[in-house]
Amino acid sequence: MIGNVVPAVRAAVFIVIALVLCGVIFEIAGFSAPLMFESILEGAFLRRGALEQALRWGLPMFITALGVVISFRAGYFNIGGQGQFYMGAIAAAFVAEWLKGSPAALVIPACFIAGMTGGALWALWPGILRIKSGADEVITTLMGNFIASLVLVYVTAGPLKDPSGSGQQASSRPLDAAYRISNSIGLSPTIIVIAILTGVLVWTLLNRTSFGVLAGLAGRNPTMVEWQGARVWRIGLASFLISGALAGLAGTIEFMGPNGRLAGGFLPGHGFTAILIALVANLSVVGTAAAALFFGGLASAALFLPILAGLPSAAIDIINAAISLFITAKSGFIDRLANLGKGQWTKS
Amino acid sequence: MILECRNLTVRYGKVTALRDVDVQLEANRIHAVVGQNGAGKTTFARVVAGLVRPDTGDLRMAGAPITAGNVSISRQSGIELVHQSFALPPSFTVAEAMQFGADGGTLFTKKALERRWQAHLDKLDIRVRADRRIRDLPVELQQAVEIARALVSDAKLLILDEPTAVLSPEGAARLFDQVRHLRDRGVTVVLILHKIREVLAVAETVTVLRGGERVAGPLETTQIDSDRLAELIIGSASDELDEEDRAALTGAAIPAHAHASAVSDGAAPVLDMRDVSTLRDSDGPGLESIDLSIRPGEIVGIAGVEGNGQRSLVRTIAGLANVSEGTVGLDGRDVTRKSLADRRVAGLRIIPFERNVEGLSLNSPLWENWSALGLLRKPLFATISPGGFRRGCVQALDNWDVVYADVNQHAGSLSGGNAQKLILSREIDETARLVIAAQPTRGLDIGATAFVWDALRRARARDCGILFVSSDLDEIFDISDRVAVMVSGRIQAVFEPPFEISRVGAAMTGAVQ
Repeated sequence: MIGNVVPAVRAAVFIVIALVLCGVIFEIAGFSAPLMFESILEGAFLRRGALEQALRWGLPMFITALGVVISFRAGYFNIGGQGQFYMGAIAAAFVAEWLKGSPAALVIPACFIAGMTGGALWALWPGILRIKSGADEVITTLMGNFIASLVLVYVTAGPLKDPSGSGQQASSRPLDAAYRISNSIGLSPTIIVIAILTGVLVWTLLNRTSFGVLAGLAGRNPTMVEWQGARVWRIGLASFLISGALAGLAGTIEFMGPNGRLAGGFLPGHGFTAILIALVANLSVVGTAAAALFFGGLASAALFLPILAGLPSAAIDIINAAISLFITAKSGFIDRLANLGKGQWTKS
Repeated sequence: MILECRNLTVRYGKVTALRDVDVQLEANRIHAVVGQNGAGKTTFARVVAGLVRPDTGDLRMAGAPITAGNVSISRQSGIELVHQSFALPPSFTVAEAMQFGADGGTLFTKKALERRWQAHLDKLDIRVRADRRIRDLPVELQQAVEIARALVSDAKLLILDEPTAVLSPEGAARLFDQVRHLRDRGVTVVLILHKIREVLAVAETVTVLRGGERVAGPLETTQIDSDRLAELIIGSASDELDEEDRAALTGAAIPAHAHASAVSDGAAPVLDMRDVSTLRDSDGPGLESIDLSIRPGEIVGIAGVEGNGQRSLVRTIAGLANVSEGTVGLDGRDVTRKSLADRRVAGLRIIPFERNVEGLSLNSPLWENWSALGLLRKPLFATISPGGFRRGCVQALDNWDVVYADVNQHAGSLSGGNAQKLILSREIDETARLVIAAQPTRGLDIGATAFVWDALRRARARDCGILFVSSDLDEIFDISDRVAVMVSGRIQAVFEPPFEISRVGAAMTGAVQ
């Protein structure tokens, strides 16, 4: 039990420190810190419908974050969730266009399969480059993000362009209402079921299969697993593919649910927030669910910041960045505090 | 007295590495500090060199107190330490490595550096050119350069931590000549050793540490014999060991091989390597025309100075090397082109060289480490019951006497001996046919070492073939039914018992048989 409590407490401490730091910075910059906190609290947690909004933003990020959890556990830093998310959405959009007019019972599953395949394929090439030639996956997946967002611009301005669009922002033709899995508010039983199912499957994969345990071992020490006779490349490639497929699944959900169409550069922070969620959750599936809800809340609060505190809504990105700074820095001070706490716990 | 230590106590967490150690060493002599692994020898050396701050106690150098736990103060007062594992940067030239630790020198040219340090090396009678790269030097010369580096300043007290561990018997003899030479030039030398034979060969006094305490010394080596010294080193544990194991542990005398052999004559070999060569790799030049077979119930020892292809040999049998020629047979089947996974199915088990890298994932729970082999026998996405593996792990760890608190604790929290037992419990199972034991007792204390030997002997009794790689001849002679000596990726010679250290030692240096 203690093993789970300590990381949770640590993550909470990081988040509080990051929020306080942001408060100080905004105060110095001439904004009101109390108002900032109030608007975050109000927007994310207290207002009516806050939970729905947190789920609307949080569930797709949860799914992408699960992909991050799998690849990070296996020791591969696939930070290309954003690109795989886009590629999933794009693949789903093409299939939806292609099957236009077919019954929804055919189109919707086809779109999901296409979306997951698109995401997986976009993670496949960095995976192969990493495993066969040692090319750093941090670089390649990051490059993949830029390429994918340019591809998104191309398809929304080209093959899938909506001719009736205003021209300000290129976007694709809207998805037929029959194929949508939620309205524009963005939450529906379908999405909730998909998220829960994905969560259960990923938990099982990581905790109840050979793959899960071996990937955990390989992530911490690939040499040892190799000496045990494992084909480490299979474990690595599988984790890249699953990770990409999950990001693609999230992209499909965003496309077929809340957005209903592709727009150039939509949800630019999705992949990075997902990485942040996975890190805050210390790569645990249950933790990822909780963290995704929290960051979903923050994302939905973005709209409240300009209204209540006069802050730009991008202030949420600053807060996210501050949290990730603390999480990745793994401040020795906090760790020591945590260890102290651990000592106390085990003594009592 | 050049060095006086009073009441040195060092604790690492709950472990007391040194307890109230008092040692006084006379100037201008050769002193030995002996003890088993875990006796506190290295900690003692590191305290004197200022690398470890003792919890209590103080140090005096030539009568003047020195601040403990400060390397630069220790060095200023003339104390230099040559580490057990070499600390010279492999890509540096000899001259650069020397300059690295020396005072002075602002702008210099490569040539000037080499001239400066060539003179120093010549003065010490170390025959190496200052422009050669460290990585191109044989271990013996690397060590000589380490010693020369330690003497760039005006060292009065030179500590060598286990200097003979990497040397052949001849190399050790040359080192001892060098040490005497230094003593004659006015340097006091402290040798951290663990072989009685070597202590008696070179040292003038000997101090014995056991379990972090000084149990005797400094004693004049002229007034002590090897039996008494062995008793001091091993202590009460000596009752449980037979005479040969005791001798092998302390390097007192070369044990005559008398263990009952379990070799099944006429049985097909479990390992059959024919004319195997491998491509050059990061471990060195690779193997050259290796012929080696191991019969069921036979322990074959691989002797040799480290870095002569032992790692390539192990990797080749494991299927992790590029075999360019020849065939590798395992239990009657040709596995030359088979993966390690297939070889493991055929009964290959490996206790690897690097316990903490190749053997265990230190940041993973014990049960995951233990289960890896079992998990790999299943399809990658098969569902498993972690509870079942945890229970299996508990049972195995209990059978193998592993001291642990919880199967969820990280493998890194185990002591070296317990970590090795965890590996044994995973690798030596009923289906094992060939066990490769690569330096399986390195760094282990007496109890754990004897445990590993017993485990291997039990496996032999069950008709496993065992390849036993070690750089410790005493241990090899004690446990092996046959000894092969490796030099530069070849098998130089094969010996049958009784083994003679002089002949095996000569083979290790590449002398023709």
